[in-house]
Amino acid sequence: MVAPTVLICDDAIFMRTMVSDILQQAGFEVVGEAETGAQAVERYKQLRPDLVTMDIVMPDMGGIDAVREITKFDPDAKVLMCSAMGQQALVVEAIQAGAKDFVVKPFQPSRVLEAVQRVLG
Amino acid sequence: MSLDPSRYAELFRTESREQLSAINRALLLLEQGGDAAEPISVLFRAMHTVKGMSATMRYHAVAEFAHELESVLDRVRRGDQLLAPDLMDALFASADALETAIDEASEQAGQTPAMVAALQRLRDVAGGSSTSEFPGAPTKETGALVEVAVADPLDGPGVIVRVRQAADAMLPGVRAFMAVQRVRALGEVAAVNPSLDALQASAVPISFAMRVVTTASVDEIEHAVRSAGDVAFVEVDVSGRTRRESRSTIEVVAEGEEVTRASARPTRHVRIDLARLDALMNLIGELVITRGRLLQLTASNPDPALDESMQMAARLVSDLQTEIMTMRMVPVWQVFDRFPRLVRDSARALNKDVTFVVEGKEIELDRSLLDEIGEPIVHLLRNAIGHGIESPAERAAAGKPRAGRLVLSAARDRAAVLIRVSDDGRGIDRPRVLARARALGLVDEGTREVDDDALFRLIARPGLSTAEQVSDLSGRGVGIDAVQVKTRALGGSVELKTVAGEGTTITIRLPITLAIVRALLARSGTERYALPLTHVRETLEYDRDVVQHVKGKPVLVLRDEVLPLLDLRDVVRQRAAPFAGGPNREIVVIERGDRKSGLVVDELIGQQDIVVKQFDAARDGLALFSGATILADGAPALIMDVGSLFEGT
Repeated sequence: MVAPTVLICDDAIFMRTMVSDILQQAGFEVVGEAETGAQAVERYKQLRPDLVTMDIVMPDMGGIDAVREITKFDPDAKVLMCSAMGQQALVVEAIQAGAKDFVVKPFQPSRVLEAVQRVLG
Repeated sequence: MSLDPSRYAELFRTESREQLSAINRALLLLEQGGDAAEPISVLFRAMHTVKGMSATMRYHAVAEFAHELESVLDRVRRGDQLLAPDLMDALFASADALETAIDEASEQAGQTPAMVAALQRLRDVAGGSSTSEFPGAPTKETGALVEVAVADPLDGPGVIVRVRQAADAMLPGVRAFMAVQRVRALGEVAAVNPSLDALQASAVPISFAMRVVTTASVDEIEHAVRSAGDVAFVEVDVSGRTRRESRSTIEVVAEGEEVTRASARPTRHVRIDLARLDALMNLIGELVITRGRLLQLTASNPDPALDESMQMAARLVSDLQTEIMTMRMVPVWQVFDRFPRLVRDSARALNKDVTFVVEGKEIELDRSLLDEIGEPIVHLLRNAIGHGIESPAERAAAGKPRAGRLVLSAARDRAAVLIRVSDDGRGIDRPRVLARARALGLVDEGTREVDDDALFRLIARPGLSTAEQVSDLSGRGVGIDAVQVKTRALGGSVELKTVAGEGTTITIRLPITLAIVRALLARSGTERYALPLTHVRETLEYDRDVVQHVKGKPVLVLRDEVLPLLDLRDVVRQRAAPFAGGPNREIVVIERGDRKSGLVVDELIGQQDIVVKQFDAARDGLALFSGATILADGAPALIMDVGSLFEGT
């Protein structure tokens, strides 16, 4: 059985590590990481992962623009937005830009996995 | 499955420190003027990241504090709040409070007094925090569900879809938006109650309803709504017929399922426990010694096949040594980074105007050396600001620019790194130091002049501070002697240059790496000594022509220089014949800074990588030596502290 692949995008290595651990334990293969929106778009194009986790706030092209670019490139892209508390308007914008779902920090692994399930169907 | 934050505590701290570094840099940039947009952006992002991380770690007090700061920064970013000097100060104070709070963070920790003070200051300057949805220390939300009566706007063609959100829904407004969006994909959403705007902005889970004109089935509609997440209840009312559904739990991929473990992540960096690097260092040290022994053995028992393998092995050990030492090398900016902030704070506290320049940020040094030299540098910087650089008024009166110039530079010099702290202040007051030295009996009564080296030796004595005030910053017993001691302990040396009225430069010379150094082995009598190459300029054969006598003392004539000449036998007080100047002896030209000297030894054995074992012993007893090593044949050798050889002359 081939493990589903995921690209993790967040400018904090701390957050990337957390998300990575949660997803790996759930059977994902982390095929790439990105620290900026620009890197996220580039790596998506290279890696074509099954799933992308994307932080909203990142330098050099924020998460929302990155989702927009990725969705333009691949309308079937499955992007999961990661947001901190208190960012409803931004998350709505992200969904409008093409993100399929979101999770809120602090992460609860069960919620992350629920969201992933919904996104991947 | 729950997340155990303690596993990530170290990572949290490291990452937070990086964010704090960025915050301080941005604050300094903002204070200096110039384009504000980028630094403000950086500040906002960094604060946001710290908030997210600390919330994840359940350090609630820190997260809330970061949230407040983020709100203020958001207002600044949007132009709703002016970035005036008093707000800058409040932000600096907040950054400090945040730093200590992070160091002491724990789940139970509440707000520190520094945080409370900083928050008060922020509020005084920038008003209260904006209405934000930060719920504070989260307990499970009791989720007061607001029942929304289905009202008139929903009259009309189509089906009514009623949704109640789960009590623990996060960002319920977004979920509601998503639900409407998904249903929209199936047809037309003719009306929403409450309005879509109100829905999107909702901070608590609610119930809502939509009127939808669609050809999709009830199942499809319900599925679409549920796919938005956090739906406790959904009902599609088709011409009065209703169907209730309760929330179904989504099965999570559990353990026990056959999964392939992820292969190594393609990352560019790897975080290594520092203890592992130290262990590697020790091992390579042992390997270097063993290699030396093997080479010696193969030299005395030649065997072509063995020779070839031995050469190969020796080369591999060298390469391995290089790789490991490189792993330990770290650019100095990692420690220098915090100095601009420190200089700014010190200068302000003392009402001095200081322009701080850092050069050579990319120069690399062994990480333990860099860690250790941080404090001495801080002391030198504070000294320069406190005693070296004059007040703006004094400087103006002396025809100098009002702002003093303080330069911290790092540079390579063959096998050493030079770290310089240089100021253009008043220089060290020679007469005053001399007067004090005379009073303490450290110099002859008649001494009226003293050169830089002698001056340094004087002020490096503990207790010779001539500072008028013992300020909070320097002079509290931690004198330049501490810098000297620390540097020597690291195998380095300190040098002073000062000109009255013009300024002072202190140079710390350090070997690039601590544990393995290249040294010249020399024999004197029956003992062997190691001279680190950082202090060796050249060697020559003892020759009547180059050695002459001036006033009865031997000197070395080296091309056009006349250098003092020492005999290693005398230096180490070996019970050997007095200076004989035999034809088979050799001379090593040693140096410290600008000063050079000749050292006569019985024999030069060769160059070798030696593993430095430092002494634990009290420094007094072994002033001439900085450590010891084991040579290839297993016998010990003392490592000379070359700098100390210059002190008697």
